Amino acid sequence: MTNRRIIYKPIPDAIRELVHKHGGDRSDVLEILRDLDRQQKLNPESVTDTARALGLPAAELFGVATFYSMLSLAPRKNVIRVCDGPVCSETKAAALRQALEAQAGGAWSIERSSCLGLCDRAPAVLVGEQPAGPVQVETVPQLLQGWRGDLPDYSQARQGEVRVMLANAGKLEPDSIDSALANGAYAGLSKALASTPEAVLGLVEASGLQGRGGAGFSVGRKWRFVAQAKGDQKYILCNADESEPLIFKDRLLIDIDPHQVLEGMAIGGYACGASEGYIYIRGEYAAQARRLERAIAQAEQKGWLGSNIQGTPFTFNIHVHLGAGAYICGEETALIESLEGKRGEPRLRPPFPPSRGLHGCPTAVNNLESFAVVRHILNKGTDWWKALSSYAVPGTKLYMVLGKVRRPGLFEAPFGLTLRQIIEEFGGGMADGSSFHFALTGGAAGTLVDQSLLDVPIDYGSSARGISIGAGGFLVCDQTVAPVSLLRELMHFFAVESCGKCTPCRVGTWRAREILGHMLAGDGRPGDVAELRALSDNLLLASFCGLGQSVSVPLNSALAHFADEFQSYEHG
Amino acid sequence: MAGLTTSFGSGAMSNSMDDIADFARAILVIGSNTTEQHPVFGTMLRRAVRRRGVQLVVADPRRIDLVDFAVLHLQQKPGTDIALVNGLMNIVLEKGWEDRTFIAGRTEGFEDFRETVQRYPPDKVAEITGVPVEQLYRAAEILALQKPMAVIWAMGITQHIVGVHNVMNLANLQMLLGNMGLPGGGVNPLRGQNNVQGACDMGGLPNVYPAYQVVTNPESRRKFETAWGVPLPDKVGLTATEMIPGVLQDKIHALYILGEDPATSDPDSGHVRKCLDGVDFLVLQEIFPSETSQFADVLLPGVTFAEKEGTFTNTERRVQLVRKAIEPLGQAHPDWQIITDLANLMLAAGERQPVDGTHAGWQYQTPANILSEICALTPSYAGISYARLEKGERLQWPVPNSDHPGTPILHINKFARGVGKFAPLEDIPPAEIPDDDYPMLLSTGRVLYHWHGGSMTRRSAGLSAIYNQALVEVNPEDANRLGLKNQDRLRVTSRRGAIEAEAWITDRVPLGVVYANFHFPDSSANELTIAALDPIAKIPEYKVCAVRVELVQSPES
Amino acid sequence: MSVNLTVDQKKIQAQAGQTILQAARENYIDIPTLCFHKDLSPTGNCRICMVEVAGQRLLQAACVTPITEGMQVETRSPRVVQSRKLNLELMLANHPQDCLTCDVSGECELQDLAYDYKVNVPAWGAKGTRYLPDSDPNPFIRVDMNRCILCRRCVLACAEIQGRDVWGVAQRGFEEQIVAGAGTTLLEARCESCGQCVAYCPTGALSNKLNYGLARAHQVRKVMTTCAYCGVGCQFDLLVKGNRVIGVSSNPGAPVNGMALCVKGRYGYDYIHHPDRVLTPQVRRYLLEGRQKSRTGSEWDWVKVDWQVALQLTAGKLASTRSSFGADSIGVLTSAKCTNEENYLMNKFARQVIGTNNIDHCARL
Repeated sequence: MTNRRIIYKPIPDAIRELVHKHGGDRSDVLEILRDLDRQQKLNPESVTDTARALGLPAAELFGVATFYSMLSLAPRKNVIRVCDGPVCSETKAAALRQALEAQAGGAWSIERSSCLGLCDRAPAVLVGEQPAGPVQVETVPQLLQGWRGDLPDYSQARQGEVRVMLANAGKLEPDSIDSALANGAYAGLSKALASTPEAVLGLVEASGLQGRGGAGFSVGRKWRFVAQAKGDQKYILCNADESEPLIFKDRLLIDIDPHQVLEGMAIGGYACGASEGYIYIRGEYAAQARRLERAIAQAEQKGWLGSNIQGTPFTFNIHVHLGAGAYICGEETALIESLEGKRGEPRLRPPFPPSRGLHGCPTAVNNLESFAVVRHILNKGTDWWKALSSYAVPGTKLYMVLGKVRRPGLFEAPFGLTLRQIIEEFGGGMADGSSFHFALTGGAAGTLVDQSLLDVPIDYGSSARGISIGAGGFLVCDQTVAPVSLLRELMHFFAVESCGKCTPCRVGTWRAREILGHMLAGDGRPGDVAELRALSDNLLLASFCGLGQSVSVPLNSALAHFADEFQSYEHG
Repeated sequence: MAGLTTSFGSGAMSNSMDDIADFARAILVIGSNTTEQHPVFGTMLRRAVRRRGVQLVVADPRRIDLVDFAVLHLQQKPGTDIALVNGLMNIVLEKGWEDRTFIAGRTEGFEDFRETVQRYPPDKVAEITGVPVEQLYRAAEILALQKPMAVIWAMGITQHIVGVHNVMNLANLQMLLGNMGLPGGGVNPLRGQNNVQGACDMGGLPNVYPAYQVVTNPESRRKFETAWGVPLPDKVGLTATEMIPGVLQDKIHALYILGEDPATSDPDSGHVRKCLDGVDFLVLQEIFPSETSQFADVLLPGVTFAEKEGTFTNTERRVQLVRKAIEPLGQAHPDWQIITDLANLMLAAGERQPVDGTHAGWQYQTPANILSEICALTPSYAGISYARLEKGERLQWPVPNSDHPGTPILHINKFARGVGKFAPLEDIPPAEIPDDDYPMLLSTGRVLYHWHGGSMTRRSAGLSAIYNQALVEVNPEDANRLGLKNQDRLRVTSRRGAIEAEAWITDRVPLGVVYANFHFPDSSANELTIAALDPIAKIPEYKVCAVRVELVQSPES
Repeated sequence: MSVNLTVDQKKIQAQAGQTILQAARENYIDIPTLCFHKDLSPTGNCRICMVEVAGQRLLQAACVTPITEGMQVETRSPRVVQSRKLNLELMLANHPQDCLTCDVSGECELQDLAYDYKVNVPAWGAKGTRYLPDSDPNPFIRVDMNRCILCRRCVLACAEIQGRDVWGVAQRGFEEQIVAGAGTTLLEARCESCGQCVAYCPTGALSNKLNYGLARAHQVRKVMTTCAYCGVGCQFDLLVKGNRVIGVSSNPGAPVNGMALCVKGRYGYDYIHHPDRVLTPQVRRYLLEGRQKSRTGSEWDWVKVDWQVALQLTAGKLASTRSSFGADSIGVLTSAKCTNEENYLMNKFARQVIGTNNIDHCARL
């Protein structure tokens, strides 16, 4: 339209080339924006130019660029992100951040970040794309000179561990497919290809494998929905967005053996009739994304991915898609939106992804850990899988025990563990001088429990008994930590990570954080607890998506177990 | 609308806007900047593309906004529409995509037409129009295979010396493809002014009475003589574009102008001013002083649409109510009342007295009285009444009686003239094309924020805030060559005059073409345009003339 | 195919594929909404239309939940009412309490619901000037994002009605806001100023600048009429206060255009009361005083006269021209801006009264 404020300006060549380099498709938007950010050229003007080059409205791309926390339209330098997660907070990340701000100087921009998924290296930071930790105030100078801290060693199983997915920890060279093949990689896919997709579906269904994201939905049933859905194009999506505080299992699984994940996806593709797979991995895991890409390239070279795998008619390609900082993208429909290059906002359901998912096609979205298990079920069968434990829920799962225990970290074990077992048997007991006060189980969106639930066996159904397994994170707190304080950390996380689509979550989380902040500051008022309860109920009943609903879980459980303590913050 | 009358026997938009938006599978927009000139219909087209995936082909020398929604943009050189459409039809015939049943059952003249079209093979058409051969093939395929396909045009087709032929050729295309008389198809000229359709329907034309009853037809004449009680002239009158020059030819001595501003809206304004200056008596009925009012002897204050009652007929022949919102301001009178008063005075003066006419008198109390008289004399409006309109009935003419539901789509099963007539048409270059002295081509039109001569919109504070002066669109490469930057002053000169205006550098216009409007009297494109008329419809060739463009001064200097 | 369901103990039938909201409204059961508008894609953002569905643990958004056979719906249960009330409070927490001076007070959907649900406006939240009030220089559209409830109807109206995509959603969570383009002004973001976003905004976040402060909703008389610009024939309501047109608003019942209007139709009305209007008949002095035509000096001055004088002079002049040069020496230009009735009269005037076919209008121009 004629309007003298619209000044003719050709799209700069650099933008054209960048868009062209990434394929010129809208689903590559995050890659393009990340590149611009890396070049310190992400700003409203470049966003507008990129939108024009992609044939998108500027407003829409601007909405995407401002949605993800790792992207910044304001000018900044090399970024060090200091983790804001509950474990790092408990280990003095705030002091570390102050030290960094004081010492880093003009060459660096220091930012706060939601949990980086480095809880086993707390307090942790991300220097550019490189994780580092534990970083103490004293080690800041080394950090600025390139020191990145020590990696925890997971090669030794803990007492009582049953290792399936972790069996190869420390045994193979993750960037070598030869090493992986020597340790059993792709034997499961081989078996699958030798049988029919129906047989594979039947096997996975019979195994009773429940999705490891937290809801525990049957993987076999989900795959069958996808297999039965109409559509020439189907997709397998691996959810490696793992952005929930306390959870870092997917990162370790990739670092231990990326092929274990790829193989599970390929088996899923075979069972569902999908030829394309995507791994949506959180932006903070750039190093793992590259490891996956290397593994994919090697697998393609060896004929375990790509066209006509091992000479069969089966074709399966895997693409790695790096996020850019958004917890909400762990919600499967938000993940799909993000994968399509949009803001990571959850979709209306129905339709559910198995009938209409990525690009409107039938799509199976599974947690990365679920895929990591599949190889073993194919390989060794359901009897073996069920025999791994005597508990009603078969198989093993990864647990992260954190906080005030003697040996924090990650381990693999069957279902049905009690919180007491997790602390005493696997965590080595409470840390010296600490006694159990309460624990956050599952993850940030899990239950906050007191000692009354120490002996309840935990699985996907135990949330009905007040204790959830979630994605397997367990933060153990002693008397030095107040439930109100931890809850405020969590509400801070949810408020910062709320996508903003619906009112209960957008404003409710913000208000809950504010109330808790007032309480901690000694400004609690009568009615605060009642208001928290009302907000929590409303989050559960009226939020648009599961993530919003789940915010009520820590709130309600904390209020139930620590009613008097919360009440005591109300003054005057 | 002479073109469609020749082809089909009726000159109006054949289909309705909603049926095009709802049912067309492909749409050809040619010579219509729909989103700026008919903005709300423009949004309907955009919605049709977005919601239904309609295949939109835009043929326009400029990269108009609608191009963003098109699958294909044919950027023909201005004034080459006949060649372009012939080329498309040539491909249709080559591929055997024509609708043989329709051609056999409902048309005549196909063989002569085919012979002509066959002389327009794609490579020749590509050379004339500048549209690449591949694009011609792609366009022909979309337009022929996506059925129904609607053709939409506006002044970009008609304002050429070959305007009537352009229209007839689009009629040819729709007959060839069998897209007439069905929802989502048809020939759809978009009428510019709010009530240009009604003004035509009501006999505001030199050759016809209301409902296109021809003045040279004795039977029609007798009908109106009986109604009005006076003998009526038997020869066709002068068009506006003849009347005004007629002043200097001693043919016209007095003008009665209602709500128009020929000094702004007619081509070659300099010459128009000379004519208006020479007329013995000019009475102007207007709401604002205008360029034309400077020449008026009497100025009668009419009112705006908010101050009167009546009906408008929109582009799709739909008659709608205009309701009075406020009382006329000041001494102003509703225009129907002024005309009535003047008529009564003149009749009372005696020289020309009606005798026994059934509708000879001028005793109207309300516009509804007038509509009753219209319905009595205008077969296509016969069934329309204020009562039906108040009920919210959708009345698109013809509405032959009070029970008739109206006619959203014309030409179903049968054309007004019986069978449709194919017309063999040849490419004729514009009257004036660029040469060494005037090397660039000027095309003209309007912009979203202004209306016609701008007398209303320039007085709207907000519209003027957004668009407060004439902008002349210049292609970036031309601008480079001419040393022009955005917002520089430029001078555009034609053989008839010169204007200065602000340059707006944009790739909307192709290389070698500048685009200007006539909303601002100080820099009106009509100082430059040529009064070359289509020989049949007498429409001026606003869309093409030759000009020279130069920098006046930079804002900095 | 029809589906049987029970809403608030009332058995109703509805079409398969309909949502709870559609089914309820067709049966005159009101469920309040904010982000929903029948012309726009439902999004389920605001959570005001939550209802209770038997067998469902959580409340369901009526605007996006399809009906099923035998469904039992409660639209006003205590849980529902409490949730709606709380959601309204959450919205109002971030909303200035400036209804006293807000231009859309009286036709604000948020205000109506706050009243219906007797909401206590919370003392907490982001109040006042979180964003610059009147933040955009667009001459027609007043933007005050402090009043925005993030329903996104503006974004959808721009995208789905106007096909323009000027508005977008930026940032996230509590920081989420509606922006034009990449955070620019509306006009820079290629806004056509059609005002569709204003028409669909349920609050005062987007309002009209031209009539800002001119009238309260209840002081305005609305007259539905037909636009006088182009040939599309849009209809709308003229907003009248006293004998003054102070604005235009969409009338959802407009047959051709629905809620859609263009910038001229919606905002190009102020010429009606422009001081340039010719409001008195006037004639040149030479004519009034019966002298020879002269364009020089005061002879060519306009003299204001009454209607009788003006019309009599005109009639006399036309009659004498006809006597001297014949009827065909007179030309009549009628107007495509005027009504059918007036055009008919002009045609009758030329042919019957003058006796010439020299009548035309600007159809060709």
